[in-house]
Amino acid sequence: MSLEMLLLILVILAGGYMAWNIGANDVANAMGTSVGSGALSLRQAVIIAAILEFSGAFFFGSHVSETIQKGIVDSNIFANPLTIVYGMLSALLAAGLWLQIASYYGWPVSTTHSIIGAVVGFGTIVGGFEAVYWENVAFIASSWLLSPILGGILSFVIFSSLRRYIFYAQNPVNAAKRITPALVFCLLFILVLLLLYKGLSNVELNLNFLQSIGISLISGALGFALCQLCLHAVTLAPNKPITAPSEYQPEVSNQLEKAKKHLLQVQAASRGVIQYQASELLEEIDMLSESLKQKEASGRESAEYAVVEKIFGYLQVMSACLMAFAHGANDVANAIGPLSAAIDILTTGFISDKASVPTWTLGLGGIGIVIGLATWGWRVIETIGKKITELTPTRGFSAEFGAAATILLASRLGLPISTTHTLVGSVIGVGLARGIEALDLRTTRHIFISWIITIPAGAILSIVFFYLFKIIF
Amino acid sequence: MFGSILNLFGRSPFAPLQSHMEKVAACIHLLVDLFQALEKRDAVALEKIATQIADFEHQADIMKNDIRNHLPKSLFLPIDRGYLLEILNTQDRIADKAEDVAVLVTLKPIELQPLFSSEFKDFLDKTIIAFEGAHKIIKEMHELLESSFGGIEAEKVRTMVEDVSFKEHQVDLSQRQLLKKIFHAENEMSYTTFHLWQKICEALASISNLSEALALRIRMTLEIK
Repeated sequence: MSLEMLLLILVILAGGYMAWNIGANDVANAMGTSVGSGALSLRQAVIIAAILEFSGAFFFGSHVSETIQKGIVDSNIFANPLTIVYGMLSALLAAGLWLQIASYYGWPVSTTHSIIGAVVGFGTIVGGFEAVYWENVAFIASSWLLSPILGGILSFVIFSSLRRYIFYAQNPVNAAKRITPALVFCLLFILVLLLLYKGLSNVELNLNFLQSIGISLISGALGFALCQLCLHAVTLAPNKPITAPSEYQPEVSNQLEKAKKHLLQVQAASRGVIQYQASELLEEIDMLSESLKQKEASGRESAEYAVVEKIFGYLQVMSACLMAFAHGANDVANAIGPLSAAIDILTTGFISDKASVPTWTLGLGGIGIVIGLATWGWRVIETIGKKITELTPTRGFSAEFGAAATILLASRLGLPISTTHTLVGSVIGVGLARGIEALDLRTTRHIFISWIITIPAGAILSIVFFYLFKIIF
Repeated sequence: MFGSILNLFGRSPFAPLQSHMEKVAACIHLLVDLFQALEKRDAVALEKIATQIADFEHQADIMKNDIRNHLPKSLFLPIDRGYLLEILNTQDRIADKAEDVAVLVTLKPIELQPLFSSEFKDFLDKTIIAFEGAHKIIKEMHELLESSFGGIEAEKVRTMVEDVSFKEHQVDLSQRQLLKKIFHAENEMSYTTFHLWQKICEALASISNLSEALALRIRMTLEIK
């Protein structure tokens, strides 16, 4: 019994360490851009991230955790249940160690890739080739390729339509005011539906399809109303500088029009050289009034773009919240999947057929992430927030929303994907829509290489840990 | 991990492109001082201003090479790399022409003859106005990036480009008047001086031509349906 108690403590510590790692390193992805654009202060960002990461992990984290717990390694092949406990413990430690090494050297590795690599490596070497569900692994690996692509496509479409319907409109502010509430409605409707429809099984909340649709519609409508209120507040204030161009009063162009009228009369009444000179003068007056109009328009336009960006600053906070929620939902599994597999065996003493993720382990994972965020993650958010000036609110919103929707969809399907890589795909999507000044595509190569290396690295490390435990116990 | 998001953003060439244009503008605006010094027959000031123009031109050259060296193949930009390099190249050639003018004026002592001085000033003013049109368009680059080269902002830049073309045409008209005057005054000066003025006019005229070319290059990056 004392051995099992010791193992239980060890597993919880390893799982907590992994969750700490996730909170410390990856949460910046969600909040960095909002801090960078000034939509949120650092303190606000940290508090919001803590709440949403936790709720994402707690309410929505079970799907992916189940996949890691039961979907990769066939537990029934192992004669001794404790082998799995050692294996999962090794996988957690291997992934945690690999992440620390990678952070030290600054490689863009993914927590998800390292934990999957570690679990698959341990399963293959210890349980044999047939101990791993290779179809599931292939499915997960294909989702790693698909998720950045899907995130990129979504962000591309979102940014292109924002450009088409807001920036290209005659009056960008009015267009933004008209479109934003509808946008918020659609977003909330789809996301709440995704969450509710058979999504929240671990809190005993099983709604049928109609109930889910009803609640989604209500929350969409609430978002719509709230958005209208906010827009009202935003667009009232900056009206004054738009309507008062300082140096070019409207009378000036009126007077120019008068001069033009008189000259036209002169032109009509004269012939020869004088007529020619009059038409020359007319041309010059046309040029002058044209340039006056341009100056007025340019002053107005810059102010209008600024108002649009301000509106999207609020929307970006929303997409950042979504991103934090999605991140909690997907990445908590990297710590909790192996943890709950081990705990299941240690508390019941045998291998159960059904995956069960105790709610308290999800809570533990959530707390681990929040502690990681509080001790180290805020510093990362601060650095990343200071450096990301390239993402204005409209661009940040498009990228984050595309990424968050993809991650939530994957979480709902129980697919462990890399949140960082999905966000990278989304930022590239915005860039391809001519949204970002300069994208260095070398990063994609680095990501691909680290992706290839991380899986064997996690596998080898977990095997080393496994045999180490074999020797010790 | 978070680093990979930051690594995604390459060094943008657009802000350096604008500051390169500022250097070019500094060269062009010194031309006014240059010819004022010539008119006042102030040889010391003339030399000084000519050296200053050469200095600015050299700084612009350094900036140009810096921008070029920071455009690796992996960098993805909202406009075609070729267009960007051509815009940069055209800007740089404008500075080169300003330097050419400064060199020509200081080759031998010449004077701005009253016979054609007013026409010359008109020509110079219009050249600078044409250049300023192109300069303003480059200043709009930030707004263009903001609206991703489309919409009303692109419409506005398009009218500005047309404006530059028109101003270039006016420079041509003014140049014709000036050349007529210079040919009238051919007996008043030695052949080398006459030839020098021809060269100066040529170099100045290419400033407005290049300004127009620059504006048209930017026109090609716009997304107008």
